[in-house]
Amino acid sequence: MDTSSPRLRMSILGVVVLGCFLALFARLWYLQVMEAPALAVQATVNRTRTVATEAPRGRIFDAKGRVIVDNRTSLIVSIDRNELKKVKNRDDLIARLADVLTANGAPIKISTIEKRLSDKKADQLQALPIASDVTEEVIHHLSEYAEDFPAVSYERKTVRVYPYGTIASNILGYTGRITAETLKRLEPGTDPDGVEKSYQPDSIIGLAGVESTYEKELRGTPGIELVQVDFKNRPVGTESYQPPKSGNDIQLHIDIEVQIRAEQALVERLNVLRGTAQRDGTIRGAPAGSVVVLDPRDGGVVALASAPSYDPQEFAVGITQERYNQLQDVNGASALIDRSITGQYAPGSTFKLVTAAAALSNGLIDGNSSIYDDGVYRVGNPVQEFTNAGKEKYGNVNVVRGLTVSSDVYFYWLGDRMDGTTLIQDAAAAFGFDKRTGIDLPNESAGYVLTKAEKKALSKKYPDAYPNGDWYTGDNVQLAVGQNVIVVTPLQLARAYAAFANGGTVYQPHVVWKILRPNSTTTDPSDVLRVLEPVVTGTVTLPPDVRGPIASGLEGVTSGSGTGASAFVGFDQQAFRIVGKTGTAQVDGKADTSLFASYGPALSPKWVVAAVMEESGFGSEASGEVARRIYEVIANQALTGAGTATNGSMD
Amino acid sequence: MLPQSISSRASKLSRRDPTAPLRHIDPVLIGCTVALSILGVIAVYSSTRGPGPDYSKSYLYKQTIFMVIGAGAMVFCSVVDYRKLHDWAWVFYGITTALLVLVVSPLGSEVNGAKSWFSLGPFQMQPAEFSKLSLIGVLAFLLSEFRGDVDIRRLVALVATAALPMALIMLQPDLGETLILLAITMTIMLVGGLPTKYIAVLTIVGLVGVVGALNSPLLADYQRDRLTAFVNPSDTSNAALYNIEQSQQAIANGGITGQGLFDGPQTKLGFVPEQETDFIFTAVAEQFGFIGASTMLFLYGLLCYRIWRIAQVAKDSFGTYLCAGVLAMFAFSAFENVGMAMGIMPVTGIPLLLISAGGSATITALAGLGLVLNVYMRRFQ
Repeated sequence: MDTSSPRLRMSILGVVVLGCFLALFARLWYLQVMEAPALAVQATVNRTRTVATEAPRGRIFDAKGRVIVDNRTSLIVSIDRNELKKVKNRDDLIARLADVLTANGAPIKISTIEKRLSDKKADQLQALPIASDVTEEVIHHLSEYAEDFPAVSYERKTVRVYPYGTIASNILGYTGRITAETLKRLEPGTDPDGVEKSYQPDSIIGLAGVESTYEKELRGTPGIELVQVDFKNRPVGTESYQPPKSGNDIQLHIDIEVQIRAEQALVERLNVLRGTAQRDGTIRGAPAGSVVVLDPRDGGVVALASAPSYDPQEFAVGITQERYNQLQDVNGASALIDRSITGQYAPGSTFKLVTAAAALSNGLIDGNSSIYDDGVYRVGNPVQEFTNAGKEKYGNVNVVRGLTVSSDVYFYWLGDRMDGTTLIQDAAAAFGFDKRTGIDLPNESAGYVLTKAEKKALSKKYPDAYPNGDWYTGDNVQLAVGQNVIVVTPLQLARAYAAFANGGTVYQPHVVWKILRPNSTTTDPSDVLRVLEPVVTGTVTLPPDVRGPIASGLEGVTSGSGTGASAFVGFDQQAFRIVGKTGTAQVDGKADTSLFASYGPALSPKWVVAAVMEESGFGSEASGEVARRIYEVIANQALTGAGTATNGSMD
Repeated sequence: MLPQSISSRASKLSRRDPTAPLRHIDPVLIGCTVALSILGVIAVYSSTRGPGPDYSKSYLYKQTIFMVIGAGAMVFCSVVDYRKLHDWAWVFYGITTALLVLVVSPLGSEVNGAKSWFSLGPFQMQPAEFSKLSLIGVLAFLLSEFRGDVDIRRLVALVATAALPMALIMLQPDLGETLILLAITMTIMLVGGLPTKYIAVLTIVGLVGVVGALNSPLLADYQRDRLTAFVNPSDTSNAALYNIEQSQQAIANGGITGQGLFDGPQTKLGFVPEQETDFIFTAVAEQFGFIGASTMLFLYGLLCYRIWRIAQVAKDSFGTYLCAGVLAMFAFSAFENVGMAMGIMPVTGIPLLLISAGGSATITALAGLGLVLNVYMRRFQ
């Protein structure tokens, strides 16, 4: 075959050219028909940027529908510190910014700006808020002369408002900017329409209290704008826009009226006692205390006070390291701890409820079993002496009188008789001690009630702190009066009394009552997304022959010869009978911890009040007084009907 | 449009002379040319009018002017008997070669690191474009003179003739145009009856030359990057790869029916570079989709088929070789340009003839088609 034939050569050329065109067609088909969906998605990603706007968080109502956490818009001026490093006339810029702010109704000193800029706690990657709540004029000026203010930015933000100020700050918590680490692990919730409430690097999240535990409900659905950008990343238009939607509102069991009284009474009593001497001459430090008010019928938390406390507003706008340090030492106690759920205290005589229940229900005694109390109880060989407070002699004492006058000797005797068993520990466990209550607030503590085995294990593990691992009769005697081998949280104490008050049901305490629709009214039942049902975590068996004598003993406490009587002088117990127990727990080298645990009204208990005050002395004179002032509000509500919840239709 | 005087004379002639050129114009070739030219003007306007609302029309006007000048060149190249060009081939070759020398001298202007243009007021002239046509002319002339009898001496003459403009263009440097000249040279030599052994040798030399050019210091780093981006698509540090990706995404974005005229977001927002010239196919594909882009390719293919047919029916070998050269110019430009936009060919900056913006390329393309028409019209004379 002639390979140089023109016809053949032309044919070869034709085939080559045809091949080229077929290759182009094939590739075009592949790109535009087969791969188009995948590549087109990629193209959309390239030419759009997502801009998220934070939505307002849900509001928080108290049990009676009063708004206790709200939102408002704040204009915030920020400086990007990384951008600021690139600015040539840095000092000049800051001086001009201070001038603009000052001239337009938001006075600020250069030194204040410098101080904020040097805050090491703030996230280096985020623009740092310099001034919040600035005027519209400031924003106008900054936007008009934007090129004169490099590294300076401004934004409109919804921030939290607390109409009751610092009230309930320990319950409500505070919000703040999400950290990079949290952003990675936080799972977004969904709004009532099923849209994911995604997080962005500058999202605001709940950092404590209810704001934190109900983050998934409270968070709003961010507004998502798909901005079309050109190849230089400059915005040229909007491809889609989904406006921000407020988060779900929530309603608490908290009664803000009771809460206010609890906080005020607590702080006032601590202030009165601080620096004075208790009965044995020890000076009261009275640095801190807490109060828990529960609804014994369902475990609802009516009030939860802790002193000292802090102003969540300070966190909403950003807090300085200096102020943070201050808050950690107020009269020698941290304001950032909620003692009502994290404080651990020896329950002292308030624990006699449990000891009595253990002895009665196991048949060791009945309501009439009595001993002669000469003020001292002797144990073992060599003899070890345990005395009543002030070596008081009560004569013939049964369990009823033992509780009313708080005879330690009677309970030492019970502790001695139950030595070698775990009857007291078992009863304590039944009442919910020794375990976290499971309240819907973060960082709750558990407390402990040691057994023989646990003490041995502890000593083995921490020989320095617990040099003696043996269990002595003395240990059981001390346990019977709530000392040495037991600590409880005020919340656990309140819950145990609630269980006794309601006949034996141990509830998981709940701060939050209902989840409501965004922008809800608390009066419209259709706004309720769901009601958090009471959770029963255990039961205590309290037959009449057990509950009766104890109830009688506790009823005597607030009147006559009762240890708490002094606190309730003048309180109308005919109308609202209060049942309770004082406690005075010894702390080495310091004034006593004052405790009072109670419920009322006696025949149909609707409230449980427990108060614990550090270094404050005898039970009734500190905690009892605080409880009485709270009962004044409660009794008033109960007797005048002011206690009816506005959203009662869902009950 | 032919001037009235010519057409009336043509009708008189045709009645008497069945071999008269105007009796044998190719309507398919002219139809394809007109359709592609109109599409080109629209595509150029769409790629350059900007985001609006004050749309820039300067490219639209310029490209229209080039089309009109090109149409004039096409008419001229088809009317004057191509066998007369036979004698002028060397003159054209000389002029374009001289321009290629001048353009790398300080007289030329440098754009994007390549000295490929003369600035003439608002216009630029790219002599490399014209050299394609003059090389076709001179190689067709030489091979038709040799009548298939090519020995080593003649081969050297042919290779030297082709290598001179290629070397000058590499000095600019412009790899894309060099490769098109190489394709034209190889095609004419294939069709021109060069012995198979020489073809084989030249193919090897050509491949070695391409590899050598890739590694030559004449190529700037960015040019090497563009070429290796095609070979090594996973090299993320390569900036050229971004262009190829964006281009392919834009084409995919067109889908089957396209985003609509003036409505390709990927091209409109500037993600695809050089979209009025090297990447114009992406603008066409994104706006008109598979239907539009494949129609364009089909018109291109039909045009090439017509040129190929005309090469076969030409009266003499000079005409055949001319047509083969023009065919190579169109087919390989299209393959390289469209293939590059779709990621199957290396990134080299060459225009898609008749579609891309650019005066020199448009006029050269239309003049080349005029020559083909010329050969066809005079196949019986």
